[in-house]
Amino acid sequence: MNRLSLFRKINNKFKSLVAKIVMLVLYRAIKVLAREDSRIMNEFLTWKDGLTVALEASPDGTAIYMQKYGDKLKRIKACSNVDIRITFRSVDAAFLVLTGQMGVARAYAEHRFMLNGDICQTMSLVRCIDIAESYLFPRLLTKRILRKVEKKEFSTLRVYRKIFVGV
Amino acid sequence: MYIPGYYEFVNPGKILSGKYALENISTEFKLFGSSRVMILSDKVLEKLGQVQILSDALISGGVKVVEIYTDIPADSSIEVVNKIAELYRKANADSIVALGGGSVIDTAKGLRMLISQGGTDILKFVGAEVLPYAKHVPFAAVPTTSGTGSEATAVAVIKDNGRKVKMEFISQFLLPDLAVIDERFTTSMPAKVTAMTGLDALTHAIESYSCLQKNPVSQCYARSAIELIKDNLITCIESPNDRKARLAMANGSLLAGSAFSNSMVGIVHAIGHSLGGVCSLPHGLAMAILLPHCMRFNLDKCRDDYTEILKMFVTPEEFVAVPASQRAEKCIEVVTAFAHSAAEKAGLSLKLGDNKINRDDFNEVAQRAINDGALIVNPKAAGLEDVLAILNAAY
Repeated sequence: MNRLSLFRKINNKFKSLVAKIVMLVLYRAIKVLAREDSRIMNEFLTWKDGLTVALEASPDGTAIYMQKYGDKLKRIKACSNVDIRITFRSVDAAFLVLTGQMGVARAYAEHRFMLNGDICQTMSLVRCIDIAESYLFPRLLTKRILRKVEKKEFSTLRVYRKIFVGV
Repeated sequence: MYIPGYYEFVNPGKILSGKYALENISTEFKLFGSSRVMILSDKVLEKLGQVQILSDALISGGVKVVEIYTDIPADSSIEVVNKIAELYRKANADSIVALGGGSVIDTAKGLRMLISQGGTDILKFVGAEVLPYAKHVPFAAVPTTSGTGSEATAVAVIKDNGRKVKMEFISQFLLPDLAVIDERFTTSMPAKVTAMTGLDALTHAIESYSCLQKNPVSQCYARSAIELIKDNLITCIESPNDRKARLAMANGSLLAGSAFSNSMVGIVHAIGHSLGGVCSLPHGLAMAILLPHCMRFNLDKCRDDYTEILKMFVTPEEFVAVPASQRAEKCIEVVTAFAHSAAEKAGLSLKLGDNKINRDDFNEVAQRAINDGALIVNPKAAGLEDVLAILNAAY
């Protein structure tokens, strides 16, 4: 009775895996851009030192945790007491947002995630994600999902190179 | 009609509207199984005898008023909520009635959240849609202004004095069980307050009709609100004792509150909150000043919605006389004229410069505005420069 169908099981695993990978790429992108893009750099400076953020693909699902540490963003172990916790209400909602089918503003408007923490502080994080997405996703896609596509200060290739190779 | 890919809508609680609405609270509370009420209000309403009217109505209906707290400041704070929770527990109350404007009702929402969830500090419940369902505490909200719509919203804004920031709580479990509109409380507002709060309600309706989170149900509520406000606000200013117009305005405010509670508000509120925080400009006045300028800013993203809103303001003959391509612009023109007419009759100026606002504060206002949660659902993204341009245009 209380058994998940095989299709749904595979579907959930696949979406969780994709969500995990994209969240990692997003984290790496913000980390790189906090040192390279003037706008994210400025946003990052306004974050209090030690600010912790959790991004959860679903309640009790895959998640990444990060912390502002000095002038850097670093990954930290899972913890229950974070300043900002963004939890997608289902892995399907996370998949929509993380694969560029929906922007953060639209996801908020459609109640796709829950937010635990100060909304004002989260606005800065949202702006960082919007800018990061304009580097990570093709323009055809960002034009559809972002209210405003920010100009890139350098090439997408450079961001991806720094994310994956580190130089 | 616009249908989003997905939407949610939470209905307001039971609405009791009209003559002797107050007298029906006790029977509703008895149905909830509660009989020991705590009243929250403010000093002004206490002096005007309105707290006594409420208390009499409750006691006549057979419930006990076990505590009355009226020391609520204009900006509700975490500390006040925590303090009232202690009194609530000490008095062994089992239900809450809030009588007042937005601050009193938001304080009551905070109190109910704390009593319902347990604990001594509401700060841990800050956020959007994270509050779990807990113990039910019957709660009636009786608004005395026709503007905030707080009696029908799932939002509470409470100041954290320690950090000097306003914290936003969003949850369906914040909605009062009863939204009570009694005509006895609608006629005491002076003209200026009537105009400011009425234009605040109009802003709720227009922003909720056109922002990203709009949906077919919220747009129905907003549409009715706009029509009620358009037909009655000026009458309320000119003839303050017209109870029919006052009741219509109170209903307009409630409907606009429910609309924006479900679709949220946008850039007018983002900048307005900041003008209130930095320059202490009254919220309703800030809304009235900013609304036309922000509508102009959003115009390219809201053409269809503004065209629809124009239909609510003019006759069908006037509507068809405007070329289709000019209807959105005409809407802004008509809304601007309406706001100016209401303001003029109440002796208000709709320029920031005339309201002792200093241009030197604009940078701080803009910086705060871009971090306001309302901006996320504004149809058009706005940055620091955009906000500064709006502030300068409104000066």
